[in-house]
Amino acid sequence: MLDLVQNTLDGIAAGSAYALLAIGFTLIFGVMRRLNIAFGPSIMVGIFLGAWVHVQWSAGLIEAALATFIGALLASIYIERLSFAAIRGDAALASMASSFALWMQLEQGVSLAFPGRTTAFPTLPPLPDIQIAGLFLGGDDLLVLLSAGLVLLVLHRLIYHSHFGLEMRALADSAEAAAVSRININRVAFLTFCLAALVGAVAGLLIAATDGQITPKFGLWATMKGLIAMMIGGLGSLRGALLGGLVLGIVEAQAQWYLGAAAREIVVYGLLFLCLIVLPGGIAGVRDTGAERKL
Amino acid sequence: MDFYLGLLQIIGVHTLLGLSAYVVLLTGQVSMAQAGFYAIGAYVAAMCTAMFGFHILPAILVAGFLTAAVACVVGFPALRVKGLMLVVATLAFGEMVRLFFFNFTWQVERGGELIGPNGAEGFRAIRFFPENGWEIWHVTGFIWIVVAVVMGALWWIDNTRAGAVLRAVGHDETAAQSIGLNLTAVKVGAMTLGGMIAGMGGGIYAHTVTHIEHLVFGVLLATFAIAYPILGGLGSVFGTLIAVIFIQGFLVEGLRFLGDWRSLLFGALIVLAMNFRPTGLLGERMPRIFKRRTGEKLELKEAE
Repeated sequence: MLDLVQNTLDGIAAGSAYALLAIGFTLIFGVMRRLNIAFGPSIMVGIFLGAWVHVQWSAGLIEAALATFIGALLASIYIERLSFAAIRGDAALASMASSFALWMQLEQGVSLAFPGRTTAFPTLPPLPDIQIAGLFLGGDDLLVLLSAGLVLLVLHRLIYHSHFGLEMRALADSAEAAAVSRININRVAFLTFCLAALVGAVAGLLIAATDGQITPKFGLWATMKGLIAMMIGGLGSLRGALLGGLVLGIVEAQAQWYLGAAAREIVVYGLLFLCLIVLPGGIAGVRDTGAERKL
Repeated sequence: MDFYLGLLQIIGVHTLLGLSAYVVLLTGQVSMAQAGFYAIGAYVAAMCTAMFGFHILPAILVAGFLTAAVACVVGFPALRVKGLMLVVATLAFGEMVRLFFFNFTWQVERGGELIGPNGAEGFRAIRFFPENGWEIWHVTGFIWIVVAVVMGALWWIDNTRAGAVLRAVGHDETAAQSIGLNLTAVKVGAMTLGGMIAGMGGGIYAHTVTHIEHLVFGVLLATFAIAYPILGGLGSVFGTLIAVIFIQGFLVEGLRFLGDWRSLLFGALIVLAMNFRPTGLLGERMPRIFKRRTGEKLELKEAE
């Protein structure tokens, strides 16, 4: 019983980072109705820029974090301009194929710039570990949880209590109706892309700083985790993305503990497959996301 | 010379992979499961020849039919969902297959050594071609005969009622349903056919490389598989062939002299191609410039 609770706790810590990735995906998908599979790689570019600053000038976490945000933002803008703004709206598949091509570009570019297998990243400031009634929560995990919670609060505020959030939700609801209401669709879409990049960069930063090292494989990893969490939770729903991330983290932690590392991945993909078939709307129960119509 | 024959082999095998995705894409379904089917075909065919001494032809047929059966079984639940959900569901299936082979070990003793899939190490010594004295041009010829047969069959299907049915479902499901087409049957049928082609392609692939491992059959391969018909367009089977030649022949091999910089240019060219031809190189629709010139007549034709 204690194991179960402990695993759940670990899972929530890992899941909060997944949830941020999933929210980044959801923001882009919700507004564009198109999938940016180069989302993970764009975060990867960010954390590598952070690592570069760290190695070059032995900068601390703050500078590295700033560099991470800038890198992810630039990479995202590059992707948005080439694969989304340049391709007309109804060609969702073309955008996907094209963002995949950019993924390969970014990954190759980073591997060329950083020839080693792994690169060092500044670690999180040490926080005391917490132990209550046999349960253990590491200081790093606590910091990840707190940061993720903070980002979620800010996002909630932005999306549900600001004019930009209103425009964004209008666009997600119906691009045509938003355009008639004099919303500059391209501008909102572009800004949403940037917002998603920043949310993703926070997730990337937290994960990279917890591990203390990064590899170019991070792009694939982040895309897969974010995508799975988004799909489990329900497409195009922010609440779903949050739930999906947490569920993914908890299931991973439980499967790892009870079934071993090899089975963990199979369990995750099995869960995803089942979720999609049994609950196409996801845990959050989204009925019509418009996904069927566009892609 | 051997280099070019080898390249032809790669192009042939990838054409089969691309065609398997093409069939499914015709019905409007984006399947990322093709790499999984390809893996099943590769492992089954290799087990048939290396472990049980089959000839290559029956081995590939067994692989094709078994994969088709798997595709059919997966197709029923998977095709309940559409669009992006299907992309991710099939992706999950593909990864499950890959992870299955990652953990799959079954070896038999043949000729004093253990042969068979061995978990993470993969499946070594699939030596049907060298053991039976096939030379490289025999193999290449064999692959292209299979490719020609499959392409011919698909071309023929495309020109019969079945092809029209597939395209009808791909264009507009509601309309297709309202003229009495059984959507599930059509989609699962396309998935089954695609699975069979991917299985055969995988079976041939395993024999040309003699060593297969789970890593080959990842998301990257699945994306390539679906990228071929998207890039080539759904106009005809030749679009896929052209896309494979473009990607494997030109982008991957032709630009090899660029070394590591290849991927950067690779990406740029695909982006360019998708910007100018969002429906593929040989798309189902005319280029936009052309459409504007010929005016309304074409619009009407498209609306049909």
